[in-house]
Amino acid sequence: MTSPLEARSLSLVREGNTVLDDVSFTVAQGEIFALLGGNGAGKSSTLLTFLGFLEPSGGDILVNGTSVGSDVALARSAIAYLPEAAALYGHMTAYENLDYFLDLADKLASQAEIDAALERVALLVEARSRRLQSYSKGMRQKTAIALALLRETPILLLDEPTSGLDPIAIDEFHDLVKALAEGGQTILMVTHDVYGACQVADRVGLLRRGKLVGSFAAENNKRINTEAVHAAFAEREAV
Amino acid sequence: MTAITRIAREEWRLWLRSKTVVAAALIVVALLTATSVLTVHRIASEQSQRLEQQVAAEQTFFAQPDRHPHRMVHYGHYAFRPPPPLAMFEPGVDAVTGQSIFLEGHRQNTAMFADTKAAADLGGFAALTPAGLYQLLLPLLLIVLGHALFLRERESGTLAVMLAQGQSGVKLALGKATALLVVIAIFMIPLIAVAAYSVSLGESALAAFSLVGGYFAYLCIWGAIVLTASVILKQRAVSLGVLIFIWLFAALIVPRFAINASSVAIDAPGKIESDLVMLAEQRKLGDGHNAADPAFQRLQDQVLKQYDVETIEELPINWRGVVASYSEAELTELLNDYTEKRMGLEASQSRMFEWFGLASPTISVSSLSRALAGTDLATHHRFLRESEVLRFDFVQSLNQAHAEKLDYTTDINRNNDAASAQRARINSASWQVLDEFRFAPDSASKRLGRTALSLGILIMWLLLACVIVLLTARRVRV
Repeated sequence: MTSPLEARSLSLVREGNTVLDDVSFTVAQGEIFALLGGNGAGKSSTLLTFLGFLEPSGGDILVNGTSVGSDVALARSAIAYLPEAAALYGHMTAYENLDYFLDLADKLASQAEIDAALERVALLVEARSRRLQSYSKGMRQKTAIALALLRETPILLLDEPTSGLDPIAIDEFHDLVKALAEGGQTILMVTHDVYGACQVADRVGLLRRGKLVGSFAAENNKRINTEAVHAAFAEREAV
Repeated sequence: MTAITRIAREEWRLWLRSKTVVAAALIVVALLTATSVLTVHRIASEQSQRLEQQVAAEQTFFAQPDRHPHRMVHYGHYAFRPPPPLAMFEPGVDAVTGQSIFLEGHRQNTAMFADTKAAADLGGFAALTPAGLYQLLLPLLLIVLGHALFLRERESGTLAVMLAQGQSGVKLALGKATALLVVIAIFMIPLIAVAAYSVSLGESALAAFSLVGGYFAYLCIWGAIVLTASVILKQRAVSLGVLIFIWLFAALIVPRFAINASSVAIDAPGKIESDLVMLAEQRKLGDGHNAADPAFQRLQDQVLKQYDVETIEELPINWRGVVASYSEAELTELLNDYTEKRMGLEASQSRMFEWFGLASPTISVSSLSRALAGTDLATHHRFLRESEVLRFDFVQSLNQAHAEKLDYTTDINRNNDAASAQRARINSASWQVLDEFRFAPDSASKRLGRTALSLGILIMWLLLACVIVLLTARRVRV
């Protein structure tokens, strides 16, 4: 069966620097795969190659079995992307942001559906008509997550999704991600949050200097994972 | 609503919610409105004034009493160049060339009264005109509005989100371009109003709306340049800096350099220098006031032979009038020869200046603007030529009256006493030889024809800018 997301010997060189080096992994339907790594390990770049924003220098990247390079529009139509900074417009309200981006995605959503999505991410009703420039980082993140939900795509790419969220919001978010995966969505997330990743992901991959140095099921290897992850972050040789 | 129009609409939402942008736009609109109103008022008043002055000058000439005909040659007449209707948008060369000429015998005077009202010009600052605002200020506002069109999205991360929604870079660029196009369309409203008003004053709709089209194309070129910078550059400050530099280069430095380069490459002596050089040759032609000047001996022999008489006293016509007429014709030929050479050199300079449009669209639009408005150098040259024809005709008609209506003996004895002077006058009905002079700009098609080079360069700029925008937008990266 074709995996919704697959990296095959993926390499990426940017401005003479090797960002990704022979990275291979697959993410099955309904699976949550978390990529962990330090700054500059190549986590976000991996996500951007799936969206076709970065062109691999070697290997291939496939979405639903189709090479992204051959049909980037097809890949993007299957993916909802949540960038690290919850990139939305500060001069617009949550409603306006969602309406705009859904329109760009050619996705029709009723007011009730939008409200349901905002309810699901627990964004306060009174905040929804305020401009995002007055939002906290967590509120912006919730709006961005709502957008990803409303896209109703089979694949979700999350870049540091819990960054800036308080512990309760992180727990709520993890529950939401798990529910989405149970509903059949394939989720690839990159994060610094070791414990959060182990808590929510089915599998965890470790990236170090662009190389995938380890990959394991999260639930069964919590102790080993933690050690390995720490090693990866500390850039020790033995993982 | 398509994605392109939606992107444009959201760009507008941002601008309208930004106090800085709204304030900048309001300042420009106020400046544009004030300048348009003031220039329209000034040109309208100059137009009626010069027409009245032309009629008054003719009436004054006709109302002169009986005089010696040669006194009327020196009494002279005025030719006025009223500003065409579109001068209310583009006063063009009016400010430096002068708008009226004193016409008299034996001389081709310089046009006078350049910008008599613009006393502030003495400080060395060019007057603010609507055309100047369109050429200089509006591109600057486009830079302020658009330098971060793409960069803002890239810096805030929304570019990635937009592209992730399935939109291509080209569609995003077209959406941003549409937003800028709407801005440009709004900028065109004052110009369209002035164009429509000028048509109501008798201006050709073809010329007026070609002017609108020319400025629309010009601002679109700037819009495309701004958009390209925002796509290819990585930082907002760099984009703003680069665009300001391009603006300085294209709108201020190149035009001034082009003026200097054209005048150095093609050395055209001024009117006064030409007159000094011409003086020596002029002396060889003889003094038309002195019928006994040896320079007219051959003419005298011919005329005596023609009338089959021995002396000039026996001639049935006044020999002094014949000399005046002959001398005027010879002198005018010499003057015209020098004038045509000087105007030819000036026209070549102007042509060379137009070619600098390849380095700056501001040069092309300003040349196109002056030509279509009928305020360019070519129109001024035509005014000089037509006023010279008027001068030559009335001077020669007076010389003819001198030859035919005033007896030679009476003429040479005119200074003997008051009674002799009185007898040497001819009837004032002879002053009706003056033709009515009403200067009007060329036909619209002729003016449009003169813009061929500038228009061609402007179209080339527009196509090039659009192609570059599309090519860069296709390769847009987050």
